[in-house]
Amino acid sequence: MPDMSLFWLRVAAFLYAAGLVHAFLTVLRRGSRFFPYALGAFHVAVVLHFVSFVEHSVELRHLAANNFYETASLCALIFAVVYLFVEWRYHFAILSIFIFPLVSLLTLIAAMGAPMSSWEDSRVRNAWLITHILLVLVGYAGLLLSAGAAVFYLLQERRLKRKHGSEDFIAMVTPDRLPPLETLDTLITRSMSVGFVAVTLAVVAGSSWASIEYGTRWISEAKIVVSLVTWGFYLLMVFLRISAGWRGRKAAVLSLTVLGFAVITWAAHVGLRPLLAR
Amino acid sequence: MKVMLTGLSYKTAPVEVRERLAFAESALGEALSNLRSQGGAEEALILSTCNRVEVAIATNGEINLDQVLGIIAQSRGIDAVWLRPYLYTFRDEEAIRHLFRVAASLDSMVLGEPQILGQLKAAYSAAKEHGSLTNFLDSVLTRAFTVAKRVRSETDIGRSAVSVSYAAIELAKQIFGQLSSKKVLLVGAGKMSELAARHLHRAGCEQILVTNRTRARAEEMAALVGGHVIDYDTFHTRLPEMDIVITSSGAPDYLLKKDEMKQVLKKRQNRPIFLIDIAVPRNIDPAVNDIENIYLYDIDDLGREVEENRKARQREADQAELIIDEEIARLLERMKAREVAPTIVSLQHRFEEMGRLEFERVRGKLGPLSPQQEEVLAAYTRGLLNKIAHGPLTEIRRAAAQPEGDRVLTLIRRMFRLEDS
Repeated sequence: MPDMSLFWLRVAAFLYAAGLVHAFLTVLRRGSRFFPYALGAFHVAVVLHFVSFVEHSVELRHLAANNFYETASLCALIFAVVYLFVEWRYHFAILSIFIFPLVSLLTLIAAMGAPMSSWEDSRVRNAWLITHILLVLVGYAGLLLSAGAAVFYLLQERRLKRKHGSEDFIAMVTPDRLPPLETLDTLITRSMSVGFVAVTLAVVAGSSWASIEYGTRWISEAKIVVSLVTWGFYLLMVFLRISAGWRGRKAAVLSLTVLGFAVITWAAHVGLRPLLAR
Repeated sequence: MKVMLTGLSYKTAPVEVRERLAFAESALGEALSNLRSQGGAEEALILSTCNRVEVAIATNGEINLDQVLGIIAQSRGIDAVWLRPYLYTFRDEEAIRHLFRVAASLDSMVLGEPQILGQLKAAYSAAKEHGSLTNFLDSVLTRAFTVAKRVRSETDIGRSAVSVSYAAIELAKQIFGQLSSKKVLLVGAGKMSELAARHLHRAGCEQILVTNRTRARAEEMAALVGGHVIDYDTFHTRLPEMDIVITSSGAPDYLLKKDEMKQVLKKRQNRPIFLIDIAVPRNIDPAVNDIENIYLYDIDDLGREVEENRKARQREADQAELIIDEEIARLLERMKAREVAPTIVSLQHRFEEMGRLEFERVRGKLGPLSPQQEEVLAAYTRGLLNKIAHGPLTEIRRAAAQPEGDRVLTLIRRMFRLEDS
């Protein structure tokens, strides 16, 4: 039964998504009581994922790591197992903010390896794509706001650190009254969190759309790879901020870096418009 | 109306002189009424603060400075001759300008400090109460208050801190914004840190902890700033919870070093810390400032901050002088307009009188007239005269706003023989 392994993989992807919800809640509310449930779902998902992998390997008569989708699936499985070990051994719960979304997305991508049914209705196709675009725009807005606040943060931080007497160019162009550091830091965090949730959902919506649209070819699109890398940086930023307390200057620089990636992604997507008109 | 202002301030007189001339509130009433009854003043105001004593008077007659000085000196029981070298005197426009500058805190020791306006308002109320502000000087002072308000809202003269302890609070606000939820630790109980703590308390800081080698002094200080005492031996362990630390202890070596502060910051998840070291020798290793998210200011840094702010205030003061120039010009214009009012009235009377006489003369010659005919004739005369009067009246009003207006005014008065009427 060739479809069985795929079925288990899809169920696993669905269960992993509980971890994604947990990550969202933590990022948005600075804490989540959903963790035990998400961890439970994660355990079950790992078992199913493993079953799927074994079944698929048996079917192929070799290790299922031949194409990109199989590798992604195996990669996600290894991450998940390592995470469970770390969690069991060290109770490093905060790592879940990073691992849950990563595993969730990798598994989702892996589950799209088999070509899915094509669009039943072109309206669904378009609505789906527009949802993806709207989510991306919200994500960009959050990122842009966060990057704007980051610039002001860096200026204000520099002024407070250097104290008076710095008469260089930057000191001259810095406005006299900037918002307090903490306000800017909060703004960076909040807009970043909202942006992260929106971008993650956008990636999920976008990649599933693309997989239906293009079948298995979609993953080789450069712009999709760029988006995924951008998302990865976004995830890393959110994780570092929450786990390592990366705030202040580091967070500001990070947020500007992610904005840079986002700009590249945007540029890569400029050619998307003609698709809609099809 | 003539205005004169005389007095002394921290700029011209040492405190020994100022304190002898200073007026207690109870002595104001008598001095004010003496100025009016013997000094030839129609209106009078006495402003007495620790930095200045000034008397402003307004009158339509002549002002005799010696007489005014005599009254002031007498009421304070001092010799007018002794006082003389310390005094400055301004008249008319310059007197008004001085009042405006004082109100706007441009003449204050600490440029832009807000107290002087309150003190001037108190002096105004006292003079008003004693009936010595009735007309012109009253309006000048009311204008001075408006000018002060304009200067405050249109320039940044009162914005930045010009004292060390207040500068520290301003910096804390630039880091944290709201201070109410922040935790403050005072290490050592010096005078300066007490001042800073009081400012913090006033800014809404509710959690102030004090530690000192001698506990009794710490308790004393905690009571003053509404804080609690913690043990000197263990305060290091509490550092991670502190957002602001003010050190002023007499310790010979650094109390806080870079490695320790790195650990502290890690424990508080890199949330920023503001360290204020006002001790000499310093209590905190200056290298601590290299750590990200820690902001360390020592006494010299704060001093430089204050110096910068002072310079900024000076720049704002230049801006304020322009506002005052503008307000003076506006006031003078209005004064002139008030001056020409009598000319306008007498010109109108002159025309009415001419009209009435001519009307009487012509009516006698025409014999009996019906009421309608009489009305027509009266309207004709009025209309004619109004048309003739329009030109000179407009010229008078225009002249009022111009510096050479006096000549136009004299000419018109002569043309229409107003001197005689």
